[in-house]
Amino acid sequence: MTPRDRLFSAARDPVWAAALAVLTALAISFVVVLASGKNAALGLAYLFEGAFGGPGPLGETAVKSGVLILTGLSVAVAFTVGLFNIGGEGQLIWGALAAAVAGRALDLPAPLLVPAALIAAAVAGAAWGFIPGVLKMYRGVHEVISTILLNWIAIHLVHGWLVAGPLAARGSGSSVSMAGTDPIRAAAWLPRPIPGSRLDLGLPVALACAAAVWFLLTRMWLGFEWRAVGAGAVAAQASGIATRLRVCQAMALSGALSGLAGGLLVLGTEHRYPGVFRTGYGFDGIAVALIGGATAPGVVAAGFVFGAVRAGATRLQLVGIHPSFAELIQGIAVLLVAAPRLFAPLLIRLRALSRAPGAPP
Amino acid sequence: MSALELRGIVKRFGEVAAVDGVTLSVRAGEVLAVVGENGAGKTTLVGVACGLYRADAGTVRVLGRELPPGDPRAAIEAGLGAVHQHFMLVPPLRVWENVVLGREPRRLFALDSARARREVAESAERSGLSLDVDARVEGLSVAAQQRVEIVKQLWRGARVLILDEPTSVLAPGEIDELLRTVRALAAGGRGVMFISHKLREVLAVADRIAVLRRGRLVQVTAASEASAVQLAEAVMSASEDWSSTPTSTPTPSSSSLPRLLVRDLHCDDARGRPALRGLSFRVEAGEVLGIAGVDGNGQSELAEVLTGLRRPRGVLELDGQQGLGPRGWARNPGAARKSGIVHLPEDRHGRALCLPLTLEENLSLGWQARAPYARAALIDRPGRRRKAEELMAEFRVHPPAPLARAGDLSGGNQQKLVAARELRGGPQPRVVVAAHPTRGLDVGAARLVHAALRSAAAGGAAVLLISLDLDELRAAADRILVLYDGRAAGEAPPTASDESLGRLMLGQAA
Repeated sequence: MTPRDRLFSAARDPVWAAALAVLTALAISFVVVLASGKNAALGLAYLFEGAFGGPGPLGETAVKSGVLILTGLSVAVAFTVGLFNIGGEGQLIWGALAAAVAGRALDLPAPLLVPAALIAAAVAGAAWGFIPGVLKMYRGVHEVISTILLNWIAIHLVHGWLVAGPLAARGSGSSVSMAGTDPIRAAAWLPRPIPGSRLDLGLPVALACAAAVWFLLTRMWLGFEWRAVGAGAVAAQASGIATRLRVCQAMALSGALSGLAGGLLVLGTEHRYPGVFRTGYGFDGIAVALIGGATAPGVVAAGFVFGAVRAGATRLQLVGIHPSFAELIQGIAVLLVAAPRLFAPLLIRLRALSRAPGAPP
Repeated sequence: MSALELRGIVKRFGEVAAVDGVTLSVRAGEVLAVVGENGAGKTTLVGVACGLYRADAGTVRVLGRELPPGDPRAAIEAGLGAVHQHFMLVPPLRVWENVVLGREPRRLFALDSARARREVAESAERSGLSLDVDARVEGLSVAAQQRVEIVKQLWRGARVLILDEPTSVLAPGEIDELLRTVRALAAGGRGVMFISHKLREVLAVADRIAVLRRGRLVQVTAASEASAVQLAEAVMSASEDWSSTPTSTPTPSSSSLPRLLVRDLHCDDARGRPALRGLSFRVEAGEVLGIAGVDGNGQSELAEVLTGLRRPRGVLELDGQQGLGPRGWARNPGAARKSGIVHLPEDRHGRALCLPLTLEENLSLGWQARAPYARAALIDRPGRRRKAEELMAEFRVHPPAPLARAGDLSGGNQQKLVAARELRGGPQPRVVVAAHPTRGLDVGAARLVHAALRSAAAGGAAVLLISLDLDELRAAADRILVLYDGRAAGEAPPTASDESLGRLMLGQAA
């Protein structure tokens, strides 16, 4: 097992290992809150209310979960072929921009415009994800390096030039307050079926994607070829699998999923590409995939948990806790999932010491 | 007092007991051979003795001292030295540097290289091992590297040596030399545990022979009282069909086009040095061509060229079809497989199996897009399961659990898995390239693989059997082609003597 496999190995342990990590992370976080003199019990209550207390909070949870599931799937799919895609954020940015442009430029009725804009988002993300795949397979560039650098290229190209220049909003009179692109057409807005809730089509789209990814990886031989490449690239190649092509395909799908996440944010929440759009969801996808063991069902579960924590964390301000508390919980949970591996050598040594006294020096 | 004493050793992996209550001792001055089938627990037993594995029960004593479990360092310090199948040497370093690595003699804060070099040379000389202590390991033959490993253990003060299948990597002449060395070490008062599959060697070198079967000790006999036939019976489980010696006759096709034609083939090895230098031969359908030669004379590269993993220059034809060039069948592994070329590679772990995947997944690897493994774009799960169970039964893969991970099988069972997939998993092959297909396999499994190769030939395939083991080539091949320095040094019938084959292998005219 490579160190990277170990990072993603939560799936091989029982599901409760990941669940336990999340619960322990919650517990530790609240000890931290207690230590800082805040009311932890009230905080916990607010957290739950913010996540589940009625249609409004549930809608928030759903919107955030949908995006996290997609970026988590993105990391999981890349990992299937053995690549670590840190570039979700860049792929998400291009997807968001493509959705904003398509949602403005195309004059279509809603049932056609929404899918068209989402497809544009997926294609843009796929293109940005395809690049590190090609660089890796044909030029030997490590994907961790290339995806991190491509994130910055995307951020600066889009925020520093496209959104500030060629694609900047023109129609508005007070352009200072309206940085970003023109708003998308109302027909491109994701429908919100429940009044008073921001619940939109994002979560169903994400769940459908998760089901499709699960089906591809476990039921189709194409997915098997991807997994074979990830499990043993040399053996896969020797058996006749076109490894380079498969890696590039998987990276394109990985990018498409992150791009789709960006599209959902624009069509569902922002309704335009804002002047600065640094969501961090692309990076959160790494945490979701790690805790979900890089499998589609695991990613869905982890996405829901962190979506709920993020939605609930906004209410924590009422007891004076900063909403970045959600990130604290997420970070501790990732550490705990990795922890058994981190501490295993230490435990082995301790156990050896406790048995050794009987042995001769 | 025994030099090495194993008492009641039990080691389980999951639910399977790889070693199940073995008690065994090696006396000072004797060679104890341990034989057994693949998965009989030999390597696991070695691992427990050296402290690489922590036993679930039982104790290990070296020179009367009990070792703490799972502590390799303590085993070395107690005087136990093991030479594993995979050498642990640093290629760019010199021989003496490799020997002292990790416990270098020091003078003040610097390496006392004069003393280290002298001590290593003395260790080698005292045990009669010929070794140039100043040579760099990367330039040494496999046999010389093995001698470095032995000297390393001796220099560290090993009183008990464990040699895990030491002959599997050696050429015939080198084997005799190793056996002499082993006898000399025992004569010098050391205890030697000699793990092997090859009964002939074991009978030649051992004082006593222990037989393991399915993790249990079946018998321990004095070599003087043992016979090859009786040992073979003890080694094989009762279910093995020991009598079915395959004897088919080749059926060369009458057409003038050979199945496989190789003419003036040139290619470089992975380091860019010429490996094949004008190799020419032909193989007919239905024929088993043995490829002999000392390791490193172009065999690996030949296998890679034929299976599309390496690009050569020259002529390569399959039933008259061009193999080279952008449309040739040897342009990549996928094209080679589509043209009916299957491969039992030398490096099972890296090249043949995806160890984290399941047995049924590994059995479908390479055929995954065709029936019965797939239907259109989907995996045909019931079809794949049925086929996997059929293949595992035919090749007696143990355990026959379709959802077990390939990495959890013993080496021999992994090889059976590969043989099953390549020879029977897909359509009837046109060319079989088998590189050391029985290396590390027990007698029963080796027969199974030979029979499968034979039946592939009987079904019309041309089989290339690359091996270092002349007995294997004699038993399975119709003709033996000897490679020397990337060229065909000559050809011999399977009845040729060791001497005449040996001369060809050393590049001398027959």
